[in-house]
Amino acid sequence: MKKNLSGAEIVLEGLKGEGVEVVFGIPGGALLDLYNMLYDEEGIRHILMRHEQCAAHAADGYARASAKTGVCIATSGPGATNLVTGLATAQMDSSPVVALTGQVPTAAIGSDAFQETSTFTLTMPITKHNFLVKRTEDLPKVIHQAFYIASTGRKGVVLIDLPKDVLAERVDIDTDVHVKPPGYNPKTEPNIMQIKKAVDVLVASSEPVILAGGGVISANASEEVRVLAEMLQAAVVTTLMGKGAIPEDHPLCLGMGGMHGHYPANKALSECDVLLAVGTRFSDRLTGWKTEQFAPDAKIIHIDIDAAEINKNIQVHIPIVGDAKAALSAIIRNLERRLEKSGGTSPRNEWERRVREMHRMCESCINTDGDDMLSARMIKEIGRILNDDTIITTEVGQCQMFAAHFYMTKKPRNFISSGGLGTMGFGFPAAIGAKVACPDRDVVDIAGDGSFLMTCQDLATCIENDIQVVVCIFDNRYLGMVRQWQELFFERKYAHTHLGVTPDFVKLAESFGCYAERVERPEDLREAFKNAFESGKTAVLDLIVGKEDKVLPMIPPGGGLTEMIGVERCNI
Amino acid sequence: MISLLVEDNPGVLARISGMFTRRAINITSLTVSPCEKRGLSRMTVVINGSERELEQVRKQLNNLIEVIQVRELSSEDAIVRDLCLLKVSAKKEQRAEILQLAESYGARVLDATLSTLTFELADEPRKIDRFVEIMRHFGIKQLLRSGICAIARD
Repeated sequence: MKKNLSGAEIVLEGLKGEGVEVVFGIPGGALLDLYNMLYDEEGIRHILMRHEQCAAHAADGYARASAKTGVCIATSGPGATNLVTGLATAQMDSSPVVALTGQVPTAAIGSDAFQETSTFTLTMPITKHNFLVKRTEDLPKVIHQAFYIASTGRKGVVLIDLPKDVLAERVDIDTDVHVKPPGYNPKTEPNIMQIKKAVDVLVASSEPVILAGGGVISANASEEVRVLAEMLQAAVVTTLMGKGAIPEDHPLCLGMGGMHGHYPANKALSECDVLLAVGTRFSDRLTGWKTEQFAPDAKIIHIDIDAAEINKNIQVHIPIVGDAKAALSAIIRNLERRLEKSGGTSPRNEWERRVREMHRMCESCINTDGDDMLSARMIKEIGRILNDDTIITTEVGQCQMFAAHFYMTKKPRNFISSGGLGTMGFGFPAAIGAKVACPDRDVVDIAGDGSFLMTCQDLATCIENDIQVVVCIFDNRYLGMVRQWQELFFERKYAHTHLGVTPDFVKLAESFGCYAERVERPEDLREAFKNAFESGKTAVLDLIVGKEDKVLPMIPPGGGLTEMIGVERCNI
Repeated sequence: MISLLVEDNPGVLARISGMFTRRAINITSLTVSPCEKRGLSRMTVVINGSERELEQVRKQLNNLIEVIQVRELSSEDAIVRDLCLLKVSAKKEQRAEILQLAESYGARVLDATLSTLTFELADEPRKIDRFVEIMRHFGIKQLLRSGICAIARD
C-alpha cells in the first residue's frame, strides 16, 4: 500500500520494521530532518552519545551482547570521520552494525560543501557493504538490504549515507519491499561430504583439539562445542574472540591460545594430531610468527562461514564452509550414527588423562597467590567477586590481556573485546551498549588509564541516560603494553609511554556525577564493588597497580607457539 | 585473468579496485563495459600473482555484495583481445615501410599527416606487444592500449 512519507519517515519505518529498539547517535546539520522525526518517535530509543566513535562502539557492544544488530547515527563530515574507528573495530570482529550518516544535499556533493566528506568512499574498505542513497524512493530497499547484509553470513558493518534532500523529500511509496541483493547468497549449510571426511578424521584421531573462535559465539554454537568436545574427549582452546565459547572451568577447556594465551593451550595446539578449528581466521596473534610451528603434525579441519578465510593464513586439510552451528550439529549427528554402528566411542584414555592434567596446569597458570604482579591479583579478585552473568568489556593493551588471561569467562557473549583492530577506548562505550542491551546484568569495563582517557567523556551519557556500568581502571601511569615491549625488547627505553600528567580519576568521575573510589589493595575490591553497585550510578574504580607489571607468559616477536617466554610464572 | 559480472552501480569500480589495493595486489589490466544483461557490467581483470594470491582474490571478490559472478579464465579457454592506438613518426622515406609492416600485422590506418601515421590494432596482447616493438624503431609519438577483454570459449 502506498503512503506519502518523507525520507526521514521512511528511514524510521524501516528501522522499526527491522526490529530496532535503540540507536546510539549524535545529530548534526545534515540530519535535522531525521532527528526532527526521531524526537517524536516512541518506538525507538535514541541515546545521545558524546563522541561519534563511542556511538559506533556502543552499537557494536550492543550487538555483541545481544546478538541483535546495533545501530549508530552520525552527521556528515566530522561526524562520519569520527565514526570510522568504531566501524572498523566492529567490521574486524564481524559484529553486525548498521550506521546511518548524514550527507550534504545531492546537488552539493562534490562541491566541498560545509561538513562534506566522501563517507561512501571513505568507509568502503572498513565495511561489509555501504550505500549512498541518491533517491528517496530507494530508501525502503536499501534499509532492508543493509540489515539483511549486516546480520547474515559473516556478519559485519553496513553504512547508509543519507543526503539531506533525500531525507527531506516526500514521496508516495510502498515501504514493504523485500528485494535481496542479487550477488549475495551467504552459504550456511555445510557440504555433507566434507562433514563425513571430518568425522572420519576425528574418529581416527588420538589427540583431538577443538579451537573455538569468535564465529562460535556469533553463531550461538557454544553448546555444540561442549557436546562435541565431550563426545570426543577433545581439549578445547579458544581464541580471544572465542573466550566464553566453553565455560573456562570445564575440565576439557585449556583456556586461550596465542601470544598472551595459556601455556597449556599453546602446548595442545602444537601437539595435537587433529585440530578442529571453528569460526577463527588464524590471526597472527593466535598463530605466532612462525606458522610452521602452528599445529605442525595435525590434520586441520576448518569450519568458517567465509570461504575467503580458508587457506588464507594457515593451509588446512578439510575445509568446511558454513555456519558454525549448522556444521558442528552435522558433525555431531554424523558422529553419533558412526558411534552407534561401531558400538560406542573408542577410548582415548591416555589423551583424556593428559587433557585433565593440562587443565590443572591452566589453573595453576592463573593462580596469583603470592604473585608480585598487582594487576594479575586485582583481576583474579575481580573474577571472584563478579557473578557468572556479568558482561566484561575490555580496553586494549595490558588490561585486556590480564583480563583475557586471568578472568574466567563462563558463558558466551560475556567477554567483549576489540580483538582484530585492537582499539583503545573501545571497552567503555561498548559497556554502555552492552548494558543497554542487557539492563538486568552487571557490566564491567576492564580499562587502562591510557585507554580510558580516549573515550571517558561518555560518562556524561551514562549519567544522563541512567546506564550503570562499572569501569575498573588499571592505573599504572603508562601505556602499559608498549612499555612492556620497550622493557623486554628495547632496553627499557620508555619512549613516550609514560603518562606524565594524568587526571585524578576519582575527581574526574565525580565531576560527571559518577560514583568513584580509589583501590590500592586487591582485598579492598569487594567492598569497592559493593559500593559501586549500591550507588545505582555508573562507577569508576581507580585501581592502583604496579607500574612495571607485565603480562606473561608471552610469545616474543618473531617467535612461534612453543617459544613462550616468562613461562616460569605459570607455576609449572 | 578474472572475468566478473557486477552490478552497474556508482562506485562499483572503486569498490573492486579498492579490494585489490587493500590486499596489496597489483592490477596489470582492467576493463569495464556494459554486457548482455541490463543493469550489469562485465569486467576483465588481469593480475600478476601466485596461485594462492589468485585464489584469495577470487574469494574476496565473491564476498563483494555487488559482484554477481567470478570466473577465472586462462588464455587456453578464452578468446582474449586488446585494442591498441598508436601514433608513429612517418618521415617520407620510411612511410612505405611502416605501412607495409602495419599491413602485415593487420593494423588499420586511422589518420595520416605529413609527419605521422596513426594505427588501430585489435588482437591478442602478445601480438600487439610485437607490433609496438617494431614501431618503436620509427619513433612512437603516442601509444595507448584499452586493456584486456576476454570471453570464454564454449
